[in-house]
Amino acid sequence: MRDAFHKELEALDQEVVRMGALAEESIQGATTAFVENDKTLAGTVRKGDDAIDALFLDIEKRCLTLLAQQAPVAGDLRLIVAILSVVGDLERSADLAYNIAKLVQLEDSVTPTGVKEVRGLVAELGSEATKLLAAAIEAWASKDEALAADIGRQDDRLDDLHTRLIGRLVELKGQESFAEAIRLALVGRYFERIGDHAVNLGERVRYFLTGDEEHLG
Amino acid sequence: MVGGSSGKLVFTVNNLSVHYGRNLALKDVNMEIRSQRITAIIGPSGCGKSTLIRCLNRMNELIPGARVSGEVLYHGEDIYGPSVDPVVVRRHIGMVFQRPNPFPKSIYENIVFGAKINGYKGDMDELVERSLRRAALWDEVKGKLKKSALDLSGGQQQRLCIARAIAVEPDVIVMDEPASALDPIATTRIEDLMQELKRDYSIVIVTHNMQQAARVSDETAFLYTEVDEKTSDRWGILVEFGDTSQIFTRPRDKRTEDYVSGRFG
Repeated sequence: MRDAFHKELEALDQEVVRMGALAEESIQGATTAFVENDKTLAGTVRKGDDAIDALFLDIEKRCLTLLAQQAPVAGDLRLIVAILSVVGDLERSADLAYNIAKLVQLEDSVTPTGVKEVRGLVAELGSEATKLLAAAIEAWASKDEALAADIGRQDDRLDDLHTRLIGRLVELKGQESFAEAIRLALVGRYFERIGDHAVNLGERVRYFLTGDEEHLG
Repeated sequence: MVGGSSGKLVFTVNNLSVHYGRNLALKDVNMEIRSQRITAIIGPSGCGKSTLIRCLNRMNELIPGARVSGEVLYHGEDIYGPSVDPVVVRRHIGMVFQRPNPFPKSIYENIVFGAKINGYKGDMDELVERSLRRAALWDEVKGKLKKSALDLSGGQQQRLCIARAIAVEPDVIVMDEPASALDPIATTRIEDLMQELKRDYSIVIVTHNMQQAARVSDETAFLYTEVDEKTSDRWGILVEFGDTSQIFTRPRDKRTEDYVSGRFG
């Protein structure tokens, strides 16, 4: 019964996976562009953001239609509510990748020596953030509670890296390029925020699977 | 499988089973119904919803061959006890049916009829006004109480039936699909009325409209059919009973989940 409704729900679930893949690609691209100072790649990341925004809008609209017309309850309702939340996290993550790409394009080609080590930390943050979001998307795709639950733990590592980064940047005060330090702080922050979105995503997977309200909010 | 803890206990149903002749219709139901709450009973056709509520006021006995086992405690007293008069039981537990069934009398007479039989000694005019006000019908009929009840619209007739039930001062009102014969506006008025009535009464409603159950009730009981593979005999069981918001956001039983999501009829 209600085949059309449940087929559409499955299709939307898959669209979230697709959006996740696009967001992951953007973040990976932004990380690589940063590490290699590749302004062309950064441009590609920026151009790719429109497709992600369009997908976000499409998924939201289709969810609204289901809510209006199908009066979903129980697991179906929790899935739609989770989808609406998750696509918001994915869209913001992609925006953060866009911002990182933009900063890469603004960077000078020559890196002051004192900043090299700090750049290495930011690159590590990028790598960790990419892995974290990939894990969250995998948890969603396979509806894996254990994987979703582990994301919070992995994010702790990301937060530690970020704290170290800020510590190192503060030590740079008065030396080298101030503008470069600001850019690195921003990029580092954006990667850390991507990690937070991945954690939210994981929590929504857990809410959908268990209905436990502790995973809301 | 009991409901929430607030609200005084009105009914306790213990191991209730119903047979019609040799056929088991309802098996081993255990539940509690509390005052100032609306309890919805949902489930597919033929799962025993109407059978269950007819046990609450001993109306099943009007069906030949019907046999009830287990107990139904009403304020602690078993209504199937040997010294209990079923007619008295039915006076305390008002019932409203799917098709409005006003008496072919005036609006006024519909209300006072039951009260007179019960030996009501108070002011009849006051009783009529009070009952019609409580049923949100007074303003529409106050100038034409002598008119035939059959001249009213379907929705008005149903509210008259509710007023009639209230007039004998029950503390429970049982409604069997009270709005399914009504248009959406009349349905909304009945649902709004239920919210007002629950302040003073315990309401039990059978509905096959799940959105209605979700909208109006505080607690929901999900009944479903069990089948004996060998004999193809079928009977109703209570699968799950809980807070309505819990039943419709995270049901505990997969059968409940499948039913409320429309994954089977």
